[in-house]
Amino acid sequence: MIRKSGLLVFIALLAVVLALVYLFAGFALRLGMVYSLEKVAGAEVNIDKVSVSLAPLALNIRGLEITDKNQPTHNSVSFVNARAALELWPALLGYYVVNDLSLDALEFGSERKRPGKVYRGENANAEEQIDLTEMLRLDIPDADELMARVNLQAVEKGEALRERISQQKAQLDELKGKLPKQENLEKIQAQIKVLTDSKIENPADLANKAEQLKTLQEQLKNEREKVRQVKAELAEMREQLTQSVAELRAAGDADWQRLKQLANIEDGGLAPLSEILLGDFWGEKIARIESFYRLVKPYIPAEGGKGAGDEAASEEPILPNRILPLPRQPYPDFLIKNAQLQWLVAGGEALIRVQNITAQHALIGSPTQFTMDIKELPRLKAFRLNGDFAILEEMITNLTWNMQGLELNSFALGGGENSLQLTAGLLASDGSLKLINNALTQQAELLLQQADFTAAGNRYMEQLADLLDRQSQIPLRIKAEGLLSDPDVSVRSSLDKVIGDALLGEARQKLAALEGRLRSQLDDALGEQMGDQADWLAALNQQDGELDAIQGNIQEMLDAKLADVTSGAKDRLKDTLLKRRKEE
Amino acid sequence: MLTLIAKILKVLNSEDSPWQIGWAVGFGVLAGLLPFGLLTMVILLVVCFFTINLSTFLLVWGVCGGLMLIFGDALEAFTWQHAQNPAFLDLLASTEILQLLHLHHTLVLGALLLGVFLLLPLGWLSSFLVTQYRLRVMSKMRKWKVVQVLKASKLVQIYEKLN
Repeated sequence: MIRKSGLLVFIALLAVVLALVYLFAGFALRLGMVYSLEKVAGAEVNIDKVSVSLAPLALNIRGLEITDKNQPTHNSVSFVNARAALELWPALLGYYVVNDLSLDALEFGSERKRPGKVYRGENANAEEQIDLTEMLRLDIPDADELMARVNLQAVEKGEALRERISQQKAQLDELKGKLPKQENLEKIQAQIKVLTDSKIENPADLANKAEQLKTLQEQLKNEREKVRQVKAELAEMREQLTQSVAELRAAGDADWQRLKQLANIEDGGLAPLSEILLGDFWGEKIARIESFYRLVKPYIPAEGGKGAGDEAASEEPILPNRILPLPRQPYPDFLIKNAQLQWLVAGGEALIRVQNITAQHALIGSPTQFTMDIKELPRLKAFRLNGDFAILEEMITNLTWNMQGLELNSFALGGGENSLQLTAGLLASDGSLKLINNALTQQAELLLQQADFTAAGNRYMEQLADLLDRQSQIPLRIKAEGLLSDPDVSVRSSLDKVIGDALLGEARQKLAALEGRLRSQLDDALGEQMGDQADWLAALNQQDGELDAIQGNIQEMLDAKLADVTSGAKDRLKDTLLKRRKEE
Repeated sequence: MLTLIAKILKVLNSEDSPWQIGWAVGFGVLAGLLPFGLLTMVILLVVCFFTINLSTFLLVWGVCGGLMLIFGDALEAFTWQHAQNPAFLDLLASTEILQLLHLHHTLVLGALLLGVFLLLPLGWLSSFLVTQYRLRVMSKMRKWKVVQVLKASKLVQIYEKLN
């Protein structure tokens, strides 16, 4: 049953397999990579050589070029050499732990030796230009539009108030059921009257009537207690109503503050020029970060990633051979401990260092950290980017940057008679960005220095260019919040007020009119939200008055009738005792 | 194609015991179901070490490997769905040797379980069919006129060459 040469056959087979792997793995990987990358990129991909070394286990890729399908004479991405050194034991266990990844001479948009083939249709070449003609319509913002944009909190609070009033109406109907019935009270009153008006014949009669009176008093006390409870609940209802009304008024005040801020009324300006100029532009740039979020999203735990509330249930990706969700695992599914990228950019190079690249940060207990350093480029003095991100219950990303001396290219705003040209300028920026899943908080300070604007053909534009030229520096504060796909961008600059004062003085009256219109619309909205709360409060007060009357009536019965009975009894008892004494 | 049929006939008519062919079919299916890896090497070692018919093994391995291109996704999805038992996942997490065999990978796990489950029944069925073929069909077939005619054909010539 045992094949004597079996072991030799096996060793020979093993040797053949290893030899095949060693000889052809690189070739097979190269074919596979070219096929997959071309499928993704939609254009020709060239790889000079892929090789696998067994000791140490490493993959080397030399000369990769991916053609830009929109511009086939150039590459979208290329690099000269890449090397990834894998750890053997994790690899045997099925985990891809890369100790060192290095990428040399990474370039985006480098020129190809010969144009690459394009396999898929071109994307529309979206030219990002700011429409100055549109921008120059520096109309006072429309009050209706502002009201719509501000998302009035008062509406929400008004709905809450109406809801409360409706609840209280139902509650009051229920409370009325708990009140003592009028006929019951009248019946008790009649019984007390009979008892107090009747003559006490003897001590036994007195005791009997006192007992009956006590029973009636107990009933009255019970009824009084019910009235007290209803009164207490009524008082609570009034308190709640007052609180809801106060909240609505506070929301109205907050809305007014936000409206004023949005209309830039307090700064004496108009809808800020800088925001009109840069707001959408900045928003679009930020929205590009969303591609990063989309890349990472499948790795964010489902229960933690629902913050934004916009995610439709996405289909689970089917992989050819998935790793089961083990309760603990010795290594992440993939981990790159150190990566170093040399990026050739704008006539110089950037050095990017990244540590701990993985999607399972909880397993390694530290976030992915990255730094990018660019120094002394021909048109940029310095740029430093630091950041980290971790995918835990949520994906949390932090970024800070510092940029100095970016020489701006000549930049045209608008066209024809309405053109304004930024011919020169230096840009500096500091900023930070925090991303929790796809919710963004970002702030940046931009400083445009030595700016030189020119304009032709339009007196208005010449005035504007002249004014801008006279500024030694133009500071901009940019804040962005909200969803990555649609951030709420606010751009503020002292420039807005300068322009407002210098060029748009006649707008003051319009601005005052806007303020009036806004206040009036907000007051109308507030009045509408208040609804019938005043009527309802009056109804509650009236109900409270009625309860006071019932309570007074009960108390009167308890006090007055009781006093008559005891004094009568006392007199009669006194007479009886005096009579007996005389007889003795 | 003719060569392939000739090879099958050669194995069926050879002196190998039916169980050697049966085991070859069972192990061939097992190796074919599994993605190439350490477990495949273990199976190869077993097949080489024991007198299991190598031709049949290699043939069945190739055929099953091809079939997995079609049915692999379904097997993977089925395993993913049914392997989420906490105790089992805990065992996988605590035993590195199981991870070394890539049993925490859905397709490997599913293929191994299916292959092991089919190993004995397929081995027995194959050896039974070979026995029945040799007892009942082989001797009778030789007497058929069709076969005698075919003996002069190209197929038989190839068969003779292989002998």
